[in-house]
Amino acid sequence: MSVNVSGRDRQVIINPLVTCMPMGAMWAVLGINRGIPLVQGSQGCSTFVRYHLARHFREPIEIAVSSFHESTAVFGGKKNLNISLKTIVQRQNPDLIGVVTTCSSEIIGDDVYGFVESNKEELKDLGHDNTEIIPINTPSFAGSHFVGYNKAVDALIKNLTVINENNEGDDNKINIIPGLLNPGDVNEIKHILDVMHVPYTILTDISETFNSPLNPKKQEHPYFGKGGTTVDEIRNISANKGTISITKYAKTGAETLEQTHKVPAVTDNLPPIGIKGTDDFIMTVNKLTKHDILDTLMTERGLTLDLMADVSARYLAGRKVVIFGDPTLVTGLTSFIIEIGMEPVMVTTGSEEKTFPTDIENMSKGQNIDVITEGDLKVVEDYVKDKDNGVELILGSSEARFINYDTGIPLVRFGFPVYDRVGYHSQPIVGYRGAKRVVEMITNEVLAKYYEEKHWKLQQ
Amino acid sequence: MVRKIAIYGKGGIGKSTTTQNTAAAMAHFHDKKVMIHGCDPKADSTRMILRGKMQKTLMDTLRDEGEEACMDLENIMSIGFGDIKCVESGGPEPGVGCAGRGVITAINMMEMLKVYEDNLDFVFYDVLGDVVCGGFAMPIRDGKAEEIYVVASGEMMALYAANNLCKGMVKYAKQSGVRLGGIICNSRNVDGEMELIEEFCKRIGTQMIHFVPRDNIVQKAEFNKKTVTDFDFDCNQANEYKSLSDKVINNDNFVIPEPLKMDELEELVVEFGILD
Repeated sequence: MSVNVSGRDRQVIINPLVTCMPMGAMWAVLGINRGIPLVQGSQGCSTFVRYHLARHFREPIEIAVSSFHESTAVFGGKKNLNISLKTIVQRQNPDLIGVVTTCSSEIIGDDVYGFVESNKEELKDLGHDNTEIIPINTPSFAGSHFVGYNKAVDALIKNLTVINENNEGDDNKINIIPGLLNPGDVNEIKHILDVMHVPYTILTDISETFNSPLNPKKQEHPYFGKGGTTVDEIRNISANKGTISITKYAKTGAETLEQTHKVPAVTDNLPPIGIKGTDDFIMTVNKLTKHDILDTLMTERGLTLDLMADVSARYLAGRKVVIFGDPTLVTGLTSFIIEIGMEPVMVTTGSEEKTFPTDIENMSKGQNIDVITEGDLKVVEDYVKDKDNGVELILGSSEARFINYDTGIPLVRFGFPVYDRVGYHSQPIVGYRGAKRVVEMITNEVLAKYYEEKHWKLQQ
Repeated sequence: MVRKIAIYGKGGIGKSTTTQNTAAAMAHFHDKKVMIHGCDPKADSTRMILRGKMQKTLMDTLRDEGEEACMDLENIMSIGFGDIKCVESGGPEPGVGCAGRGVITAINMMEMLKVYEDNLDFVFYDVLGDVVCGGFAMPIRDGKAEEIYVVASGEMMALYAANNLCKGMVKYAKQSGVRLGGIICNSRNVDGEMELIEEFCKRIGTQMIHFVPRDNIVQKAEFNKKTVTDFDFDCNQANEYKSLSDKVINNDNFVIPEPLKMDELEELVVEFGILD
């Protein structure tokens, strides 16, 4: 009875669970108010990401690209970047442009930092100096979209944050780096902080840019989506009381702030998923800000516990679950699955997260858990289809839908991407209310699959 | 059937000089139809054949006039001494972009235009000093050059570069069928030069195909923007290039070399007394 860590048993990856580094960086830049990601690369590098994001969020995703052609690969991308920046600044006048590099621009050795500096000079001469231009290095062969997100948030913090003399801020504001969470999750974190009367800056806030209301009368020209963190907010984050990085893979920005501006960083906690994870998060906020934990939150916690007590022993206990996806979300959900008495028999993530196996080990209470590092969808498929493993439930993204169709084993969707169902991006899995929703989804799938229509347990 | 030949060697060893003089001799004395494709971003591989005319490179045409213009042979190919066809790949400005990708782009375009199949006996690829990356190995990939000649002299660094080049080509030899045709010694008048090169060739399993003596007439002809054959086809040096081209035409000694380890190479140089 123990946690059993192993690698993928083959070199080739079949149906990867991660995507390319620039996507993570574009995600982060899209969380900036009046911010535009500019991809320094060929057109597929932006088209693919736009498609990937748009089918999950069902929102228009605006991403610019400097449009590399064969000749650019030979002559370098300086001219392309110059024309792109001038066009965007003159037409859209955004507050921020994140220049996201790609494999091709990195391989040919484009000096993007130098390009951006000389372009800033030129734009200044043209009378445009109110747009921040941030270079973000994302050679995709060197990491996944999780790494790209981390690099982008770090680049934003390094380039924008100014020193604040009045570090004795009057309000107890904190910084949150959410990682690649859905709008529903970010909103739930905001809800918890609002209830505690804690002001915050989200780095970066995609809750509205990726989930915006259809309200044509209020659209402006040039068009920018509603919401997002403003550049001014990011400039001032050094005055805040602390930075909480929800996901481990996005903690570099928090560490940078700690080193350069002495803002305490909290980076290695369990994410606020399930009871313990959310408890830890709220205690951390309480420690940083000294704000009380109010009854509202205790009521939410109680309601979730009540549901868990109602269904856990009756329907869920001992059922075998496979979980795959984002390393931090999988870690949190594994902890929660154990809390509700189910058995996480196999967990995997496509990412390079080094501490993932030990995190799972630390939360195991004698369960047999197979942890597969740097797995892929084929790992999940083989495991689920092996009848000896007796898997009864899959937690993961839409990518696993065919495993679900083939085996009939229920799939509870979470994370990114979920494109074959609606509403998943706007609902939370974090916080007490998110935990309650997860229990509801799991229980309903279990009831539908494992109980006959006239089973006596369904009558009570 | 056209024979495609790639010429490699240390920077400054005389690749372009040797290539142009050999090609000129081939055309003049042996009546062969020859083409030179310069794959060096510096674009100085065809200057003497074209009698000093600085050819507009393929990459310049691509940059200034676009891809369409490159599809017109007149824009990118010039004819020089002995009806030798000349193309220069060119490349990005120094310090930016990717010259290796430039070589790939240029050769792809030439193949698309079917230039190499067009009534030719020999095509010479004159390539940048060393196979520094995949792009510069393009001429020896599958279906391109089948023969390589390395230009060297009796100096440590020239042999080091030649040895490195052999390491590079071994990787391609099995799949693409590219073979080493020999080492051309472009003499620097160093002590024991011929013996050293001959021993080096023996160790890596190839031949010294020709020993080109040092002669000021090469520089004199170059000063007049001509190859030696063009400048004075009766002179002794022209005769040397004639016999080199003769040996290349009749060469049947093609091998996969066995490059030396660094300490073996140093040992060899010490043995021949270059390092005192």
